[in-house]
Amino acid sequence: MTALIRNRRTGKIRVRKTQSSNLYMRGVLLVLAAITVYTLVTIDTKGADIAAASAKTAEYFWLMLTQPKAVPSHFGIQDGGGIGTFFSALHMLGITLALAFLTTLFGGIVALFLGVFAAGNLTNKKVSNGIKSFLAVVRAVPTVLWVLIFAIGAGLGSVAAVIGMSFHTISHLVKAYSESFEEIDEGVIEALRASGANWFQIVFQAVIPSSVSYILSWTFIRFEINFAVAVAMGAAAGAGGIGFQLFMAAGYFFDIREIGFITYLILAVSLIMEYLATRLKEKYHIHNGA
Amino acid sequence: MALLEVTSLTKYYGDTAALRDISFEVKKGEFVAVIGPSGSGKTTLIRCINRLIPASDGKIIFDKENILNLRGNALRKARAKIGMIFQHYNLVERLSVIENVLHGRLGYKSSLEGMFGVYSEEEKEKAFNIITLLGLDDYVYRRCDQLSGGQMQRVGIARALVQDPRMILCDEPISSLDPSSSKVIMDYLKKIQKEFGITVVVNLHQVDVAKKYAQRILGFNGGSLVFDDEPGELSKKQIYKIYGTEAGELIID
Repeated sequence: MTALIRNRRTGKIRVRKTQSSNLYMRGVLLVLAAITVYTLVTIDTKGADIAAASAKTAEYFWLMLTQPKAVPSHFGIQDGGGIGTFFSALHMLGITLALAFLTTLFGGIVALFLGVFAAGNLTNKKVSNGIKSFLAVVRAVPTVLWVLIFAIGAGLGSVAAVIGMSFHTISHLVKAYSESFEEIDEGVIEALRASGANWFQIVFQAVIPSSVSYILSWTFIRFEINFAVAVAMGAAAGAGGIGFQLFMAAGYFFDIREIGFITYLILAVSLIMEYLATRLKEKYHIHNGA
Repeated sequence: MALLEVTSLTKYYGDTAALRDISFEVKKGEFVAVIGPSGSGKTTLIRCINRLIPASDGKIIFDKENILNLRGNALRKARAKIGMIFQHYNLVERLSVIENVLHGRLGYKSSLEGMFGVYSEEEKEKAFNIITLLGLDDYVYRRCDQLSGGQMQRVGIARALVQDPRMILCDEPISSLDPSSSKVIMDYLKKIQKEFGITVVVNLHQVDVAKKYAQRILGFNGGSLVFDDEPGELSKKQIYKIYGTEAGELIID
């Protein structure tokens, strides 16, 4: 019989055994905390007045959020402005959304096939581990870097952005898809095997239908990520769209109020996507008791 | 005439023997129950018969073919002739009742037809008739995760029946069900055996159920076949031999 472990000082009964991995974890956290405190104390501010800088930042933030305003000429509108500027901004937003949609679509289709081969319960260990470890390397490199790497061949612009973003999307979705395939009940596969079904039939008739809600929700999450990345790509890789406009407003015109306007547009899109994602989940997550 | 002939069947998991030199025959249209304590090899036996588990040694002649020698399409064809029912039903729960039942036809389909679920009108009608036979006609288009356990097991039976099987293997079909659903399921299995002349081999944990329904009982202990006779011959002594003295007392009382 195992004796109960008591706390040495208080004598209370413990429910969790102290394990060496826990101790290591605590040690690492302590060292990190110490480094953080040390850095904050000894940081070189180059004589900047922290208080004044913070106040200025807050002021700009306030201006950005409370008085958003677009300058028509920045959006290529010469006379009048008003509604024309707004539609021009929507058009740019559309470009960014299209970039996110296209890369998610490409990535999703390729990832569905690779995901099946990466799932340990559907292929042999060698193939599954091979695909998984290759994609782990791909995933470790940030999307922006992939875009810049592909820009060597395709030149800076939307083509490099599409290839680079799709590449990273594949590596992310293969992991998500293959893990949801691995979660499915082994018994279902067994049942279809017993009735004489072959591998392709099992994948399409049992595995994919069983994980369709996971596939949908992961794909949608990736679409949201890709939208955010597409905004950044507009600036960093010259892929165009609302991101490029944001970059111009911030770095070229230095128009804080225009940045506010663009930020609100992006925020609106994010809210709409969040709403759609919730609706999608409601539709596909029906379970017992319906 | 024997439909299934098992000769010297042996199965090892590493060094542990799960089945030791098992030999028996099952006649066409017979209702056979397999009993024994957990880990006695019942499940392994059932799964060796349709090659879900590869046997280590021996022969399994089903319908004049040695199942253990079959490969690829020939194995698929042989499996199509053997239906199987599981303790946990093993349905694709997101799909409808009729879609699950039609899965029983996959063994007869080409890869492409099966992948995209292209079934002929005759197959769909056949599936619908079997669903009606099992009293599920109100649920044809219902998703399986909305059914009760007893109903799901009936879908499992329908999926096996739509295969036009010569034999149905059942792996503890009533272990997850309440007594009244269990009776319904056993009655359907009996009906299938009587009316369609399909051979039924069923793993059971309930000795009384085995005695009531089966024409023959196979008793397993520690991977060996220790009893093979009619239910009437299953004496107290035999039950002790299958389950060991302590458990045997509980069963007999």
